[in-house]
Amino acid sequence: MSDAGRDRFLPHLMRIAAAREETPDVRTVRLEFAEPEVASGLQWRAGQFAHFSAFGAGESVLTIANPPSRPGHIECTFRDMGKVTSALASLSVGQTVGFRGPYGNGFPIDEWRGRDLVFVGGGIGMAAVAAPLRLVLDRRGDFGEVLVLNGARTVADLVYKEEMKEWEKVERVRIVRAVDPGGETRAWDGEVGLLPDVFESLRLEPDGRIVVICGPPIMLHFMLIALDRLGFPPERVVTTLENKMKCGVGQCGRCNVGRFFVCRDGPVVTAAQLASLPADL
Amino acid sequence: MIRMSSPNEFAQEKGRPVKGEGWRLSEEEYERLQDPRSVGLDVRSEGWRVGEEEWREWLGTLLRSGSRLVAPVEEDGLSLFRAVSSAAEVSLRGYGNTRWSPKEFLFPATEALFSYRLLGDEVELGAPPADGGEQVLFGLRPCDAAGLARLDEIFLEDGEDPSYAARRDRTAIVSLACDTARPECFCTAVGGSPAGTEGSDLQLLPLDGAWLLRALTPKGAQLVPASAAGWTPASAADWRRAEELRLAVEESIERDPLSPEWAPVLEGAFAQPLWEELGQRCVGCGVCAYVCPSCSCFDVKDEGDAFCGARCRLWDSCTLPQFTRHASGHDPRPTRPSRYRQRVLHKFAYFPLQHGGRLMCVGCGRCVRLCPVGIDIRESVERAFSAGASGEGRP
Repeated sequence: MSDAGRDRFLPHLMRIAAAREETPDVRTVRLEFAEPEVASGLQWRAGQFAHFSAFGAGESVLTIANPPSRPGHIECTFRDMGKVTSALASLSVGQTVGFRGPYGNGFPIDEWRGRDLVFVGGGIGMAAVAAPLRLVLDRRGDFGEVLVLNGARTVADLVYKEEMKEWEKVERVRIVRAVDPGGETRAWDGEVGLLPDVFESLRLEPDGRIVVICGPPIMLHFMLIALDRLGFPPERVVTTLENKMKCGVGQCGRCNVGRFFVCRDGPVVTAAQLASLPADL
Repeated sequence: MIRMSSPNEFAQEKGRPVKGEGWRLSEEEYERLQDPRSVGLDVRSEGWRVGEEEWREWLGTLLRSGSRLVAPVEEDGLSLFRAVSSAAEVSLRGYGNTRWSPKEFLFPATEALFSYRLLGDEVELGAPPADGGEQVLFGLRPCDAAGLARLDEIFLEDGEDPSYAARRDRTAIVSLACDTARPECFCTAVGGSPAGTEGSDLQLLPLDGAWLLRALTPKGAQLVPASAAGWTPASAADWRRAEELRLAVEESIERDPLSPEWAPVLEGAFAQPLWEELGQRCVGCGVCAYVCPSCSCFDVKDEGDAFCGARCRLWDSCTLPQFTRHASGHDPRPTRPSRYRQRVLHKFAYFPLQHGGRLMCVGCGRCVRLCPVGIDIRESVERAFSAGASGEGRP
């Protein structure tokens, strides 16, 4: 989308068309542009993010959860965590929010053609996995087997519960769900364990697989260690970074990890790139 | 003191005078211009010898033309940049440098990006109030003019920021070369000069009791009034004297260079334990960033209530504790040493590595002078470089 001449901070107005409470503190909203021409002109890549605003509270950086293969609207999933997300969580269907973006690099989906793919989403990190996963499912023939490993602290914290049932029906897609020890219920039929352990128990061979992992820093840390031990080459392990951002274009000065600006050079990085960055994460 | 490049090599980088036709030079002048340290004066440019009466009259002309004039004034014993309504308010007497840098006139401490109004479920957005026409920033020290050129790199070259670009476009900068250096000055250590021209459209060079005014850009030339026809053109002796004074001030700044060539070593010194020691002293007050002419980090937040207000951009500082803290509580830079390291490395490693070797420091010395716990960024850079070069404590 060309926003030439438009002030970069001026958001597009969007109406909340639908809202779904995923968990007690995670919400998914479907947003529709107030100006239809913006909707038709907007182009983005899976993995790019945007600034979403609740007027009066401010802006928050969230990933665009719907892939470009499902255009015309914007979907995002967020946890009620700070000032802006709690304001966004309190808005009702029909109310107006702001959107500016997209920003960042996105996932190199085309490089994954023909390969088996593993998507690992921990907690709200599943929102960052959603766009590339949905895009892969929309282009099912281009890729090999798809494994989705979704974990959360407790059963109540699992997101996309209904949609996951649909994903499971797609050919050559396997879904593994896990909760942290103690987070299970009596009726729970999934795995119990931390994601790195559950991943190891699956006994996957690297075999040219692409592994996409998104989740909290502590989960990423141990997943990367596990993947390294299992022999997954760091060039084929992909994750997304997250940092506070105020602009999206490398100027506000707070999302950088050394010379690497998460907003401009990321948020998608390989484990190999990550290893070359200073420990400022 | 470890050194990777001499000041001469560095000065060469920054703009050696070029030999051309039509120069009237003595042997001695020619010799001096061959000296790579001669980074300042281009004797080919047009210049006038002006007295105080003449420049004040000129400023009056600018004000009458409707231009906003920002210049140093004396207020409560401090020198500060203010928009003045008469040339008589301008005070260059005993003026070393202003307490605050002039960056707020291009990059305001707080500015509204747009306004919002909630009308039921609808939201109405409004453009911010337009903030005026032409402005002349007068009397900036060359370091501060260079600082604004750093802001240009961030807000124009790294992707144009429309509000900054509009303000920059209608701004002309008249710098004032230094006749003395203050103890905290170190422009020469970071590639500048007491008569540096970077970022200036016009420049006044001190000449014992008078000034040599020279235009450096077409924009600057346009500001010279018609009455300049009656001014005395600067003589060869005037140029020579200005050059002598520049060299004298330059020599009085006894600082070893902080070379941009150090950037890779500094970047590699990220994990040095030294940062713990350097950064523990920092109290995280942020004054260094607020007074810095090149610091450009900002915050964006809504000011108002649930019904109306404005989204604002505000200065921010990487040494403040909330700067990088996520809503979740996770903080990539959770300690004062980790934040202070970011400040030093952004200016002396990350920025030069991405901007053709230009440091994000112009040597104005305000942070050195005003730090409440006496942190000297020059010392931090030198020590981090030494530690990085010797590889001590490398993990």
